[in-house]
Amino acid sequence: MPRSLWTGSLSFGLVNVPVAMFSGVSDRDLHARQLHAKDHTPVETHRFCAEEDVEVPYDEIANGYETDDGEMVILTDAELAAANPHKSRTIDIEAFVDLDDVDPITFDHPYILMPSGEAEGIQRAYRLLVEVMGRTDRAALGRIVMRTKEYLALIRAREDRLVLTTLLWHDEVRPTDPIPAPTKKDKPAKKEVDAAVELIESFACEWDPSRYEDAFQKRLREIVKRKGKGQAIELPDEEEDEPTPVPDLMAALERSLEEAKA
Amino acid sequence: MAPRSLWNGSIAFGLVTVPVKVYTATDSKSVHFREVHAKDGGKIEHRRICPKDDQTVGSDEIVRGYQVSARKWVELTDEEVAAAAGTQARLIDVDHFVPASEIDPVYYDKAYYLGAQDKGRDAYALLHAALEKADRAGVGRWVFHNRERTVIVRPLGDVLALHTMRFADEVVDPSDLELARVNRKPTEQEIEMAGKLVDGLHTGFDPSEYEDSHRKAVLALVEAKAAGKNIELPAPEEAEAADDLLAQLEASLSA
Repeated sequence: MPRSLWTGSLSFGLVNVPVAMFSGVSDRDLHARQLHAKDHTPVETHRFCAEEDVEVPYDEIANGYETDDGEMVILTDAELAAANPHKSRTIDIEAFVDLDDVDPITFDHPYILMPSGEAEGIQRAYRLLVEVMGRTDRAALGRIVMRTKEYLALIRAREDRLVLTTLLWHDEVRPTDPIPAPTKKDKPAKKEVDAAVELIESFACEWDPSRYEDAFQKRLREIVKRKGKGQAIELPDEEEDEPTPVPDLMAALERSLEEAKA
Repeated sequence: MAPRSLWNGSIAFGLVTVPVKVYTATDSKSVHFREVHAKDGGKIEHRRICPKDDQTVGSDEIVRGYQVSARKWVELTDEEVAAAAGTQARLIDVDHFVPASEIDPVYYDKAYYLGAQDKGRDAYALLHAALEKADRAGVGRWVFHNRERTVIVRPLGDVLALHTMRFADEVVDPSDLELARVNRKPTEQEIEMAGKLVDGLHTGFDPSEYEDSHRKAVLALVEAKAAGKNIELPAPEEAEAADDLLAQLEASLSA
């Protein structure tokens, strides 16, 4: 079992289920380390106090907030925990919403919630939530406090487990107004839209994440292997020229459709 | 003021090219703290130390290495890492189209907006209209910051949104986490009651109805501390355990 990132309880009405939270993402990337050039010793990061020029152990580090007039306000982790004294270890289910109503732009990080504790009561309460959520397309909405941040979170059933997705707050999604968008006079003709939809339909398929592989990681591992054997690495080509917009949209669509059929 | 774009290039949709600019779509509003030394408020600096010589190492003496065995590191230059990205194409080739509503939320990574460039705005409008009408998202590959990612492009209001997607092997399968056996499964009666509770709490989702109250509370703490007030530390909480499910459900429904 991996290490849990958070433990607390999930509360649904008057039912409390102790849960442990795990990351829904596993990092399989090959990571670079900073090495001392002369002998390839991996360097370590140490924390120093700029005032005294001495190394500072981790438990002597606090959170500094610089006010507008340049004053440094210091808060310890324990003091910061006072920001939400009653709810920091509980996810209260506040509402149930349709997943389709939540725009993917707000999806932040995925986690998995598991029952915490062997007691039959805990396991059964967890099963009950899985069962009832699995029977609807609705997701539970609650709040979770992790370290110094509060998140809105969606909880759903997946593969007999509860999964949690943290959401961004509405003011963390930027407005689209300043983004340059086409104007009314760019509006396509109906026959152009129809041809474009036909082109989309001819390349339509289901979402199947197993079709995509991380080509970057694969090539990086290959490059590291070759370099390790002392072989030369071929450097990438110059940047390609940027393609120019086509002058006649309809003609390009028709040719695309012919190619799609061929 | 128009925001600054992160990347300029084109989307290839069949033989139609759609010139676009990529903008960041999200930004964190968390209260930002920096590390300080608790006793004197001194700013904390991160220094690179070579454990062998116990000396600070300057950034010009640092190279990037990948570990190939316990003692062996392979050094790569920036150009060699860039070689892993493949050709630095200024093109996102959107070559198949999926129903976006079927993509599980776990696959969504980072969100961006696509802006139209001055040239080819008609092509942008066409792709936007066609994706909306077909109710599908385009899938393609995007090389950004020397890294190739799978992306989807979908209409969002008047613009197109671009999402980088997680790879299947990065996503943990929930069934990999072991679940203890139960002697007695939840009964139909319990499930039905819990279902009523779910129905009773069902609502439409309007993100603007939810505020980050914690952010405000943190800022209030900062103000209180700056004014020299004492901060009362919270007592540790204990989670209650569930024993009598049915009684709790009944009580919840009558509450």
